[in-house]
Amino acid sequence: MPRRWRPLPISLLAVPFLFLADQVEAQKLPEENSCLQCHQGLGDPRVMSPAEKFPQDIHGSKGIFCQDCHGGDPASLDPQQAMSRAKKFVGKPRHQAIPALCGKCHSDADYMKRFNPTLRVDQVQEYLTSVHGKRLKQGDQKAATCISCHDVHRIRAIKDQQAWTYPVKVVDTCGRCHGDPKYMAGYKIPTDVVAKYKQSVHYEALTKKGDLSAPTCNVCHGNHGATPPGVGSVANVCGTCHSVPAEFFAKSPHQQAFASMGLAPCVTCHSNHDVVKTGDEMVGTTDKAVCVTCHQADSGGFRQAAAMRASLDGLRESLTRATAVLDQAEHAGMEISQARFELRGASDALLKARAAIHLADAAAIQKLTEEGKQITAVAHAKGLKALEDLLFRHRGLWVSVGIIVLVIVGLVLKIREIDQRRHQERAADRRST
Amino acid sequence: MNTPTNSRRGFVNCLLGGGFGAMVVSVLYPVVRYIIPPKSGEPTIANVTLPWKPNEIRVNSGRIFRFGNQPGILVKTPAGELRAFNAVCTHLNCTVQYREEKQDIWCACHNGVYDLNGKNVSGPPPRPLETYKAFVKGEQIVVSKGA
Repeated sequence: MPRRWRPLPISLLAVPFLFLADQVEAQKLPEENSCLQCHQGLGDPRVMSPAEKFPQDIHGSKGIFCQDCHGGDPASLDPQQAMSRAKKFVGKPRHQAIPALCGKCHSDADYMKRFNPTLRVDQVQEYLTSVHGKRLKQGDQKAATCISCHDVHRIRAIKDQQAWTYPVKVVDTCGRCHGDPKYMAGYKIPTDVVAKYKQSVHYEALTKKGDLSAPTCNVCHGNHGATPPGVGSVANVCGTCHSVPAEFFAKSPHQQAFASMGLAPCVTCHSNHDVVKTGDEMVGTTDKAVCVTCHQADSGGFRQAAAMRASLDGLRESLTRATAVLDQAEHAGMEISQARFELRGASDALLKARAAIHLADAAAIQKLTEEGKQITAVAHAKGLKALEDLLFRHRGLWVSVGIIVLVIVGLVLKIREIDQRRHQERAADRRST
Repeated sequence: MNTPTNSRRGFVNCLLGGGFGAMVVSVLYPVVRYIIPPKSGEPTIANVTLPWKPNEIRVNSGRIFRFGNQPGILVKTPAGELRAFNAVCTHLNCTVQYREEKQDIWCACHNGVYDLNGKNVSGPPPRPLETYKAFVKGEQIVVSKGA
C-alpha cells in the first residue's frame, strides 16, 4: 500500500525554527519546498540529514535545489506527486551515476559561465582518469565519487574554510577512506598515510604556519584525477615547488643510477608522506645519513658523501663562530650591524650548498662553501676587531680609574703634608714666642 | 740646599700635576670617542636614504640596499616606477634579486619568484615580500616602512 501524505503539523511548524541556527550563513530557501519540509520532519536521521545540511550548500544560494539533482516537484505537498516518475523523480542516484549527474552542469561550459566564468569544467573528464574513476567504472561501489569529497548536500565553495576541500581539511577528507583500515581492506594500500602526513613538514607548514600553498594530498596526487605519482614523475611533482633541487638532481649521477634501480627520485631519501625537515645530518657517512643506505664504506660515493658533509660542516661551524663573535660584540654594545649584514651572504651560500647537495658533486659543494667561508672570515675578523676595541676601552677605563686613584692618593698626601707643615710652623712660632 | 722634605714635596707635586693632567685626558678621550659617531651607524628602522640619485637607477633594474640589519631591494620597474621591498626571501631567508630578463624578483637559493608587487608567484616562498614605500625627496631616494 503506497504511503500517503500525512500532514505533520508539529514538525512543519518547527521547520522555520529548526533552520534558525543556520540562518547566519545559510541562504534563503524557498518557503514552499516540500522536499525540505518533509525530510526535516520525518524523524529518521538518515533522511533528515539532506534537509538539515542543505541550507549551507552553495547550490541553494545559486538557486539550484533538490529537484535539479533528484527530479520531482518540490511545489507539491503530496508525496505521490512530489516524487512521481511523471515529474522525473530519480530519488537517490546510483553510486556509479554520480559523476555524470554532477557533470550534467559542471561539464557544461556555457551553463557554468553563468555562475563563475573562471570555474573549470573538466573535472569529470579528469575524474575518469583517476584511480577512483577507473575503479568506479569497473563497478567498485566503494570508489570515491564527487560527493565523497564534497560533503553531499552541504557542498561549499573551495575557499570556504568549512569546506571539506579547503587545504587544511583535505587530509581528513581523504583520510575518511584512506585512513580507515576497515574501509580500505582489500585494496592492498597502506592506511597509515594520513598519520604519516600529519608528522610531515608539509602539514606543519599548512596548519601551524598557515601556509595554504603547502602541499596536502591533492597537490601531489591530483584532486579530481587523483593517482599516485609514478616513479618517473615524482621528481616533476616535487619539482613543482622544489625546482632547484629537482634541477640539480636531474644533472647528478643519481638520475641514471636511480632510474636503473627503479628507485623514485626525492622520496627514496626524503620519504613521501612523512617528509620531515631536512638537516645536514642526512648527508655524509654517519648512521643518520641517507647516503650510506646505498654507498658502501670506501666506495667513491661514500667518499663523496663524506667530503660534502665536511664542506657543509665547515661552513656551518665557521658561520656559527662568526655569529657568536658578532653576538658577543653586539651584546657588549659594539656597533657590528654592517658585519652582520655582510654575514647574510654566508647564510645564503650555506643554503645554496645544501640545495646543491642534489648534484652529488663534492667539488661543486666545496666551491660554494669556500665562498661562504670567505665571508664568515671577514665577518669574524670584524667581530674580533670590535671586541678588541671593546677591550681597549675597558683597559682605558681601568687606566683612568688608576689615575684617578693616584690623584686621590696624591691629594691625601698633599693635604697631610700641608697639615704637617702648618703644624711645624705653629710649633716653631710657639717656640720663638 | 736640597733637603729630604723638599725632595718629597717635589715628588708629590709632580705626582699631583701629572695625575691631574692624565685625569683630564682620560676623561676627555672617552667623551670625544663617544661624541664622534662610529664609521657605520645603525640607520633608523623607520626609513633610510639610499646612496643613489633617482636618475642613476636604470629602468628595469634592481639594487640591494641596507635597511637596518636586513637587505632591501629597490626596483625600477619597466614603467619607470620605483618600488622597494624587504629583500629577505620568505622561504628560508636568502637575499632575493631582480631579474631583468624576466622582470621579476627572484631567490636563487630555491627558485622562489615574486612579481613586482612583491607577491609570491611560484616556487616555495609562502608569503609575499614585505613592501616598503619608496619615494624621491629632492635628489634623494628615501625608503620607509609602512607602504
